[in-house]
Amino acid sequence: METLREILSPHFLLRNSVYISLLVGLVCPLIGVYLVLRRLIFMGVALPQISSCGIAFAFALQAWGVLAHLHAGEHALAFLGATLFTIPAIIFLSLLVRRGRGSVEARLGTIYALAGAWSVLLLTTNPSGELGLLDVLKGEIVAISDADIGWTAATFCAVILLIFAFAKEFLLVSFDREMAVSLQKNVILWDALLFLLIGVTISMAVLSVGPLVAFGFLLIPPLTAHLFARNMRQFALAASGIGGVSAVAGFYIAYRWDYPVGPTDVALLGMIYGLAFLVQKVVALVKAKPADTVTPSTV
Amino acid sequence: MIQLETQQLERIKVTNELALSLEHVAVGYGRHVVLPDVNLSLQRGSFTGLLGANGSGKSTILKTVLGILPPLSGRIVLHPVAGRSLVLGYMPQRESLDPIYPLSSFEVVLMGVCGRVRPGFRIGGDEKDWAHQCLRETGADQLSRKLFSELSGGQKQRVLMARALATKPDILLLDEPTAGIDAAATKAIMELLEKIYETQRQTIVMVSHDLTTVREHAKGVIWLHEGRVLHGAVNELLTLDKIQELLDLELR
Repeated sequence: METLREILSPHFLLRNSVYISLLVGLVCPLIGVYLVLRRLIFMGVALPQISSCGIAFAFALQAWGVLAHLHAGEHALAFLGATLFTIPAIIFLSLLVRRGRGSVEARLGTIYALAGAWSVLLLTTNPSGELGLLDVLKGEIVAISDADIGWTAATFCAVILLIFAFAKEFLLVSFDREMAVSLQKNVILWDALLFLLIGVTISMAVLSVGPLVAFGFLLIPPLTAHLFARNMRQFALAASGIGGVSAVAGFYIAYRWDYPVGPTDVALLGMIYGLAFLVQKVVALVKAKPADTVTPSTV
Repeated sequence: MIQLETQQLERIKVTNELALSLEHVAVGYGRHVVLPDVNLSLQRGSFTGLLGANGSGKSTILKTVLGILPPLSGRIVLHPVAGRSLVLGYMPQRESLDPIYPLSSFEVVLMGVCGRVRPGFRIGGDEKDWAHQCLRETGADQLSRKLFSELSGGQKQRVLMARALATKPDILLLDEPTAGIDAAATKAIMELLEKIYETQRQTIVMVSHDLTTVREHAKGVIWLHEGRVLHGAVNELLTLDKIQELLDLELR
């Protein structure tokens, strides 16, 4: 209890790490909901890796002398690199998934492996950025400046605002594209906006907590919430809630027992998912017994 | 009877007006032409069955009218009512909707009102009441809080029909509403559709491969056969002799 009080104190030395974990935990699942519903889970694996490759590329440009070293603008440069890699990748990968020709999983797997390999190769060409970026790739959420928090919070607030404001449009074009067309909705525009929000969120999350943690928060909370949700509002809010609570609980465990924060968060999310899965099976078994004697439902 | 339909009812009473015309329309996918030259007109307040063998172009023509597929050539005219564009109520095949979405039936029906609510605006109380009314109209109000993915085939069709009605359509376009459901459910769905037609004089186009269902419920029929389009009244085109003739042609 004492540790929890210490972590939540505004004077806590690593408070920015707690805040960033909480922000990522709350917002990534809201975006992940659409990756799960559109059956783009493999994209959720590949995109954070592509995003980190974009960050490594942006820093490599400095090492190669293409861009000047600007310490004050490093965060913005990394964000730009991540976004410029992530958004075209989403568009390309979603087209690949929609057309469904060949083995989509194999192609996504190849892209994932290539992006991971290139991230490391680009880092080795950049001795100045190597140390800090390796921490990001490993999910070490430690050195977060006030400016980073400000940027992340502002970006995520904009994402949340747009996700909730246009929820009905995003849901309609995702669930029943044909009906959306028949209602004169511009499905390409709505898809583009959704992909932009996914790209921006992933880029910011990878920049803050690394690809492993970003992937964990994108997919595991929505998958857990999906086990119990009875409507879309429950689904989105439960996913975000699970992400937020896990982020704080994960930080508490990591701080208390001196583990790295990112992997602890993801391991905790995995345990929650496993537990929820078991509970759901038990509930289904309990419910199934009396149902055997009930008359079938009407047409 | 849906209360808010009164105005629509009065408007639809004029039955000699055209609702939809296809003028030399070619439909298909990309370079693959399914129907090269479709010419037909549907009157307002008509109930038309769209028949044909698998691959004859039934769903393709429906999707072209809906704007999902662009016509390869020709012109589709949705005749405006009082200067206002027509609203199309679409009921897709239920298998086309992914069961992964944890949507309540009410949320599915609410999608029908999205055409009238501007982006970024919340769906108001009036529209929610209307969605509930549509559920009641299709006998699915007790399903509103249930997960759509957990409903039976017949129940899903009722909810999808409620969603199509929620658009306040001028033309209802139904893609195989009785496909894959048992005889009792088929009868219930068709009785519901007939009730909607009788009470609202809705213009209905129903894609089906079930000749008996179309003959019993529709007033007009469009029969697609090897790129040709036959259009007429049910009692002219679906006589036993004609059916035999057309089936012989299809078997050849």
